[in-house]
Amino acid sequence: MLALTYHRSVPAFALVRASGGNPEVATSALSMLHLGDVPEPELPAAGWMRVMPSLSGVCGSDLAAIGGHASLYLDPLTSYPFVPGHEVVGVLEEGSRVVIEPALGCVVRGIEPLCPRCAEGRPGLCYNATEGPIEVGLQTGYCASTGGGWGEVLVAHPSQVHAVPATLSDEAAVLIEPLACCVHAALRGGAAKSDVVVVVGAGTIGLLTVAAVKMFTPPKRLIAVAKHPTQRDLAMALGADAVITPGDAFQRIRFATAARRLDGVDRSLLLGGADITFECVGRADSLSDAVRFTREGGVVVAVGMPGDERVDWAAIWQRELTVMGAYAYGSEPKRKGRRTFELALEAAPELRLERLVGPLFSLGDYRDAIAYAMSAGRLGAVKVAFDLRGLRA
Amino acid sequence: MARPGAVIEVDRNTPPVLFHYGEGVRLERLPLGSRIVYPPDPLEPIAHPERAIKRALGRPLDDDPLKSLLRRGMKLTLAFDDLSLPLPPMAAPDVRQLVMEEVVDMAAEAGVEDIHVIAALGLHRRMTADEVRHIVGDRIFSTFWPDRLYQHDGEDPDENVYIGKTAQGEEVTLNKRAAESDLVIYVNLTLVPMDGGHKSMATGLATYRGIRANHNVKTLLGSRSYMNPPDSALHHSCIRQGQLIEDTVRVFHIETTVNNHAFPAIASFMQKRETDWTAQDQAMFLAMKQMTDIAPPAFKRNIFHAMRAPYGLTSVNAGQVDAVHDKTLDAVRNQISVPVEGQTDIVTMGVPYLGPYNINAPMNPVLVVCMGAGYLFNLYRGKPVLRQGGVLIFEHPCRYEFDAVQHPSYIDFYDEVLADTTDPAEIESKYEVRFAEDPWFRQLYRKSTAYHGAHPFYAWYWAAFAMEYAGDIIVVGGERDVVHRLGFKAATTLEDALEMAEQTVGRHPSITHLRVPPIMLCDVQ
Amino acid sequence: MTAKPWYSGERGLTQLADAVGSLVKDVGRVRRAWHWDTPRPHTWPERGAVVPAPASDLGWARQEPVRTIRYLIQQGLLLPFTEAMSHPKVEGREWVKELDRPVIFAANHSSHADTSLILHALTDTARDRTVVAAAADYWFKRPLMGNIVSLFLNTFPFSRTGGAQGQLHASSTLLKSGWNLVLFPEGSRSQDGRIHEFKPGVGHLANETRTPVVPVHIRGAQRIMPKGQKLPLPAPARVRIGKPMTPKPGEGSREFTTRVEKAVRTLAETPKSEDLQGTWIERWRASKPRELVYGED
Repeated sequence: MLALTYHRSVPAFALVRASGGNPEVATSALSMLHLGDVPEPELPAAGWMRVMPSLSGVCGSDLAAIGGHASLYLDPLTSYPFVPGHEVVGVLEEGSRVVIEPALGCVVRGIEPLCPRCAEGRPGLCYNATEGPIEVGLQTGYCASTGGGWGEVLVAHPSQVHAVPATLSDEAAVLIEPLACCVHAALRGGAAKSDVVVVVGAGTIGLLTVAAVKMFTPPKRLIAVAKHPTQRDLAMALGADAVITPGDAFQRIRFATAARRLDGVDRSLLLGGADITFECVGRADSLSDAVRFTREGGVVVAVGMPGDERVDWAAIWQRELTVMGAYAYGSEPKRKGRRTFELALEAAPELRLERLVGPLFSLGDYRDAIAYAMSAGRLGAVKVAFDLRGLRA
Repeated sequence: MARPGAVIEVDRNTPPVLFHYGEGVRLERLPLGSRIVYPPDPLEPIAHPERAIKRALGRPLDDDPLKSLLRRGMKLTLAFDDLSLPLPPMAAPDVRQLVMEEVVDMAAEAGVEDIHVIAALGLHRRMTADEVRHIVGDRIFSTFWPDRLYQHDGEDPDENVYIGKTAQGEEVTLNKRAAESDLVIYVNLTLVPMDGGHKSMATGLATYRGIRANHNVKTLLGSRSYMNPPDSALHHSCIRQGQLIEDTVRVFHIETTVNNHAFPAIASFMQKRETDWTAQDQAMFLAMKQMTDIAPPAFKRNIFHAMRAPYGLTSVNAGQVDAVHDKTLDAVRNQISVPVEGQTDIVTMGVPYLGPYNINAPMNPVLVVCMGAGYLFNLYRGKPVLRQGGVLIFEHPCRYEFDAVQHPSYIDFYDEVLADTTDPAEIESKYEVRFAEDPWFRQLYRKSTAYHGAHPFYAWYWAAFAMEYAGDIIVVGGERDVVHRLGFKAATTLEDALEMAEQTVGRHPSITHLRVPPIMLCDVQ
Repeated sequence: MTAKPWYSGERGLTQLADAVGSLVKDVGRVRRAWHWDTPRPHTWPERGAVVPAPASDLGWARQEPVRTIRYLIQQGLLLPFTEAMSHPKVEGREWVKELDRPVIFAANHSSHADTSLILHALTDTARDRTVVAAAADYWFKRPLMGNIVSLFLNTFPFSRTGGAQGQLHASSTLLKSGWNLVLFPEGSRSQDGRIHEFKPGVGHLANETRTPVVPVHIRGAQRIMPKGQKLPLPAPARVRIGKPMTPKPGEGSREFTTRVEKAVRTLAETPKSEDLQGTWIERWRASKPRELVYGED
């Protein structure tokens, strides 16, 4: 089958990293990513199904891996070579449309008894990621045995497969997985009705976090921090009360929370500030700002995938902040144990997610796709995706 | 011989008119048939100010001579107007310095031990030590600063007292030291008819609670205009408040007026009429225009804000407030009144670089509105020069430029409040209290040199009448997004602005250009 | 008018050409508008009154050549150096602002830095007319040293060892010529910083010439340049100037000297003593300018 595969190669990684993540280099013949004909993945156990992807999104984590700035922490949790692509809407062999829940936990790996994390409904945090009939991998799209969205065929366990209602188009459905991540983050953050919430970053994750927070845990005031004009318009449309630029963050948040502002040598800090901040950028600058304008005793939720970033921990310590990661999805205790994907599928129609998707590229144009995705904000796009419908007869 | 103000009609020989353009100057040709209103020439100042002051203090109006009011063991407070007057700041010595030195002399003669000198700034910003020294002079500064010469703090709960309510329910507050004194001497400088009288004590030494009683949209819409106290609801309210204060504490008012010689010799082209420009003036204009076209904003600001006005004292009166203020207003009107026949469809003016609230700071867009549609528009008596529904045209660069130290509340006002609405009544009900009670603004007002949190609101209300009255307001040469945020229209040149105005007022409109500054009061018949 | 973006192709040479072009255009406009080439249009109103001249400045004091040079040296070198070395805190400058007659400054002596500190504490006009008594046997042994010090500090030789008569004569001549005199009645620099007994010369001088004596206390000078050290080191200093004292009727020179010494000692200790430094009213009167700004009656 035709697929993009990611190979583990230390010199290639070094070269791509040295180029600063330049898309020309990162998708060249010397990179880790290759397009070619590879054998289809085999069904690892009884009950597994074959899924033909229709659309598969390009995620920030994929770009980090391709661009050479992914954290090396994730290396042992991945098996190579793998087909990337974990935001997948596709069809089963009998034709019904489904979305894939990528997490490969105990249930998927067929391991009994469940590890403590899978038992409490967090398959993304499974302890048994190295066991079972498939190789190491946290998700479909980072595992050598399962295939991934950027190929013609992938294999999935029945628990990973969710039916897509007829009312939801493919374009909207490709965003269900990121929406589920953001719903999970919103519920973990747990904003109250009297809170001032700040969402930093307005890429896919930032915008969907705005939508999720507004829908599931509506706060007193929701402020989105966005760099690019298209992002600003979308943030307002998805429910932010105010959209500000990163440079104005301290001034506007100070006003919204009636805090006091002190200016330091390089950065400011607020005495007071936002109650909960969802950090959806993952870079040192925005993380450093986030820990300084979140109020003392507040919560900072790292939603966007951060890498090896330098943050001054003095702010976190002195302000007694709770810094938590929000990764993947599962079952939500705050919603009576319902699965995050179900909640996302319910929430999707109202949000009209299609307007966030575009443009679509075929696998053959993967070099343009990756380059576009790397500059999505500046180009006014949010979610770039591969369209594999053309590959089917 | 000082000429009175004049109204000139533009013909083919008339030279182009100087428009102030923020920190810059422009020459504009007005269409034939337009009127240009020029302010009167500066009157001859009093030759020996100290003598005049001594005379005024020795024979006050409706009050006893000041010497007789001072005695050993009394509690004396001396209050003076802050640096929002005069504009531009005066060349040394300031007239208030001369008056205060005479008063302090008398106090020293009488042996008064307990004397405090307070800068009556109301909700304006605190001044730096240098700025205070510029107003009071070296002698008073070195003798009294910092324990007995200080600035009024309108947000200090311990240093302000509630006096009572007027018959109309307006609350009155006063600085505690002033309220508990045996005698308060207020040294005022009246530049425009809005200043002075009962307004001095009622706003200069008041708190937010007292000031908001009349600094609100309703009162200001009822002030037609606040440059003419008999017609001004603002002043009627201040008079009520002031009378309550006069019932509580003995106040001796000393009011001074100056001529309108606003520009020093080097910038005399700004002072003079265009037909009187000598070759030197023309050269100076060209130099100034080129410099302001290419220089960076900070450089221009230093040059412009370094100008000191060679004002001369034209009158000094002392004694009981009503008698004194009548004479003061007569003196002011004597200098700045210009009779103007009838109203016109369009009024144009250039907004200068300086207003009362941006000394040593850039004029941010909110203050441009306050200055242009507020102060300059309201310098009329009777009716405005502009007819109802007419078009007001200003020239100002209108940059997004704020001084973070002096105007922190203005930045949030522009970013948050104006982004929501520009309607003064809506702004008042939705946002004013929040800004007034914001702890950060309060701290900056009390400890730093920042205007009070509610101050941008007053700047906006000052222009409320113009916004309601004029059909359209067009800003020439301003940045488009800024002008649109303010709720006005933007044009690049004056010709385009006049073209746009014809949509509102029809073809061949009548035009008046007000050549301010120097300040003038249009007496419209 | 504002900075142009990078892609507008109008940087450097084109911006310069723009500026020149706009200048030429403006000059052309002004030329046409103000009729440089044609007579003044008769439709223009009569040329108006010249705006009134601003009030005149104060007149500058007359300076003789040496005094000018000294002034420059003091302003440019000595005073900034003193300021930088010790940031002296001065109290009681009002007493020396408007001196209408010469006075004797009687100060404690602990270091060579004393003179600079006193001169720094005076106002320009007072300093201009002040002369410092410097020990003849120490400073004026080598001729060059004495001249240099006189140039900088305006010193004159004061013999410590000769008879009282000799001291009196030189000093009183100076006082009668209108010079303020700086004396250190202890005689020589104190080793330990304590104030030693004042020699009676100051009382004699005051009585003879009927000159008021201004007690001055300097604190901290011995940290800057203690006796025996050649190099001055930075250290904070405070100069306190007291109210001028005159001998009471019937008071002898010795008693007066003792009283002056007591005054200087008290100035050293107490923070604000009204009888030595004056009430604010006395200081206010003392600093009243003698000349009015706008001319005489």
